[in-house]
Amino acid sequence: MSAEGVPGVPPLSRRVTQEGIRRYAEASGDYNPIHVDEEYARTTPFGGTIAHGMLVLAYLSEMMAAAFGDDWLAGGRLKVRFRAPARPGDTLTARAETRRARLPDGQARQVSDDRVLEYGIECCNQRGEALVSGTAEVVVGRSR
Amino acid sequence: MRTCGLKPAVFNRETLALTSSNLPNVADLPRGYELPAAYFRLGADNVRRYLEAVEDHSSVYGQGPNGPAWVPPLAVAALALHAILEQVRLPAGALHAGQEVDFRCPVSVGAFMRSRARVAQRSEMRGAVVSVIEFEVGEDGSSTPAVVGRATVIAPRGEAPS
Repeated sequence: MSAEGVPGVPPLSRRVTQEGIRRYAEASGDYNPIHVDEEYARTTPFGGTIAHGMLVLAYLSEMMAAAFGDDWLAGGRLKVRFRAPARPGDTLTARAETRRARLPDGQARQVSDDRVLEYGIECCNQRGEALVSGTAEVVVGRSR
Repeated sequence: MRTCGLKPAVFNRETLALTSSNLPNVADLPRGYELPAAYFRLGADNVRRYLEAVEDHSSVYGQGPNGPAWVPPLAVAALALHAILEQVRLPAGALHAGQEVDFRCPVSVGAFMRSRARVAQRSEMRGAVVSVIEFEVGEDGSSTPAVVGRATVIAPRGEAPS
């Protein structure tokens, strides 16, 4: 779907593995046992290890960065809920649905070429369950 | 690309040394509580490890002498959150329930960062405490944050605040 004046964003897929979760723990410093200790994680309500929420969010950010480049690095915004855990073996797909273009916050009328593009975003597993959902916004324009 | 006009970073700042036994339980922190400033460096090795972990092989982050020129903005947020949450105790069962991040300007690889955080909201629900931790992170010495955000953490209710 593409709202008028708002470009589409290609989806992105990634497979979650325990080795990938371990690498993310090492990179982020988050060694919470729910992510890396399989024996402990089996005793929790999750029944096994789960991926870090910020790892799943990274896929959504990467999708937006691939579409908008520098504008994303210096004008991107994400707002999400972590609804369900991603588990080793899951194949995740990050998607963005175009919503609208609007003026930047605080502008009641057009004073530059800047505009804010809004998207609904989600990251689903192979069963179509939305694990992370929310919105993404990016400021684009010639004054950027 | 628009940047925050930052100067080269300084690398010899010491981080706060705390042990888990004397850290406050996140569920006990009242609304308005300000966590101590946290410092961390985003070196080329940190960025390389992060990009490998999230399998991000794009060229969006430019090319510097030792790899990408810019830090993926979510890496800035993730490492800031880690530095912030190292200063509190997350009890077993604590969950990261939501996240907002706003990328204001890019951060160059090698930067030394300073993050500040406070408990913006706290509520209780069915034996759990919902805390919204508001944070901002920028290059040390700059007054302009590069990334601002809000993390929602749900934790089992801890002991009563003293």
